[in-house]
Amino acid sequence: MTRRVGATAAALALLALTAAASAAAQATATGGSEAPPAPPLYLESIPPGDALSILGTKVYDAAGADMGPIVDVLVDRTGAPRGAVIDVGGFLGVGSRKVAVDWRLIYFRPWDDKMPILLDLTRAEVQAAPEYKGAKTVKLVGPPPPVEGKSVPDDAK
Amino acid sequence: MIADVPTGAVAARRTHSAERGLDLLNLFVAGVQGGFGPFVAVYLTTQGWTQTAIGFALSIGTVTAMASQVPAGALVDAVRRKSLVAAFSILAFSVSALVFAIHPSPLLIYLVEMLHGISSCTLGPAIVAMSLAVAGRAALGMRLGRNARYASIGNGLGAVLMGACGYYISSRAVFILAAALTLPALFALLPLARLDRDPRMDPEPPPERHAGVLEVLTERRLLIFAASAMLFTLGNAALLPLASTTLTRRAGDAASLLIAACIVLPQLIVALCSPEFGRIVEARGRRGILLLGFAVLPIRGALLALVADPTLIVMIQALDGIAAASFGIMVPLITSDLAGRSGHFNLSLGFVGFAIGLGATASTTLAGWIADRLGDPAAFASLAAIGLAATILIASAMPETGPQSRRGPAL
Repeated sequence: MTRRVGATAAALALLALTAAASAAAQATATGGSEAPPAPPLYLESIPPGDALSILGTKVYDAAGADMGPIVDVLVDRTGAPRGAVIDVGGFLGVGSRKVAVDWRLIYFRPWDDKMPILLDLTRAEVQAAPEYKGAKTVKLVGPPPPVEGKSVPDDAK
Repeated sequence: MIADVPTGAVAARRTHSAERGLDLLNLFVAGVQGGFGPFVAVYLTTQGWTQTAIGFALSIGTVTAMASQVPAGALVDAVRRKSLVAAFSILAFSVSALVFAIHPSPLLIYLVEMLHGISSCTLGPAIVAMSLAVAGRAALGMRLGRNARYASIGNGLGAVLMGACGYYISSRAVFILAAALTLPALFALLPLARLDRDPRMDPEPPPERHAGVLEVLTERRLLIFAASAMLFTLGNAALLPLASTTLTRRAGDAASLLIAACIVLPQLIVALCSPEFGRIVEARGRRGILLLGFAVLPIRGALLALVADPTLIVMIQALDGIAAASFGIMVPLITSDLAGRSGHFNLSLGFVGFAIGLGATASTTLAGWIADRLGDPAAFASLAAIGLAATILIASAMPETGPQSRRGPAL
């Protein structure tokens, strides 16, 4: 009986290992195969510091306090971003709450590794925000920001 | 092999080191498990996972854990060397934590969520079975009290360490820490492994008579206990997240620290109470401590419905320690009272665990649903009402199960 348990556990471990190996192999395969492009691809390269991956990236307020990561982006029918969902607060995943904020309150600074995303809201304003409960009934935290000094999303309009 | 049967002194020393082994095992396993809770969602978010994928991964974990409770119990019943089951379960934790830390790709995470779900279900009963082997049936309550004490210390320290890791280093570091903590857990098994090779330490005397699985699982008291445990968890599991979200909304900069206190303080109370609870339970019967543990829940729920002050919320949450200490001892102990000699002890434990899992899964959904429609106080009040129902069920239908039940009414 004991042996059978051992065998099952070993099989499980083996399964996990094979999966790991195949995933790794896949990663290298896709990574290294830019060689045979049958149709011509028009590749645009973005210089470092010009683009930013935002899902899971932490948002800071003006005072430099960590507000939590962006977990989702809300777009309108043209695909233009309207708001971001931020997972605020909590300890080890307990007690955090999601809040949707207006896209125009968020500043993106891809060149800054320490604080790439800033949010123009105070902690008190974020705390007072209603909880985000899915994209059906969204209440975005405004207010519509002043137009001067905005760098990024004015073309969204 | 049987040539060197240990002398009395050697056997005593072995029992002593086995007791120590159990202490440390509970400590480290509880520490490791802290990484696999709600923190998984935080970590996968930092890895750029979408909320949908994270939800899917967590559901896989939950469903696997629920589905494997009873089969895992049956498996632990069938295997003679429980320390081996524990060793493989802990190794599965190591693999899971490493995969999380090193290569969190969807397929692998789904796989290790399953692996972790299954091994959690085998490890719990294996630890209880080894406790039974080390302490014997007469002192099982005391031993379980000690288990609960060390598990709560591991839980609390683990939460603090992992919180610090996540805050100061990275969320990946939390899983590296979890993987590292599996090593001392494995070492803690060594004296226990020696023990189950010792021929005089046969964990279970042959069953008095072989009862059928169905006969054991349909025992009236076991059903009542499983039902009340399910109701208790249905009322209990959502209290911490709900109270913590309230803190995040109201408490300002200190919110995260207060939530940490909500997690750690109850563990401190478990560590203080559970050995005493274990003694009381052995000396005077199960019912007093059992009722105390259940009765704390409706009180907590009602208070949380009324109170808004962050400090008070933390203090009310700390009361959970009393319930947790009682529950941690009572679930294995009462199951052992009812099914311990049937040869289906771990299966019965898995059955009660399944009932508890059902309650826990439904709890957050139910509380969230009520909070959305009627507000947080209504959600707290409903959870309190469920807790009251569980307490009434225990008080009215659950008899004393300890050896005292033969001597007359306890307390």
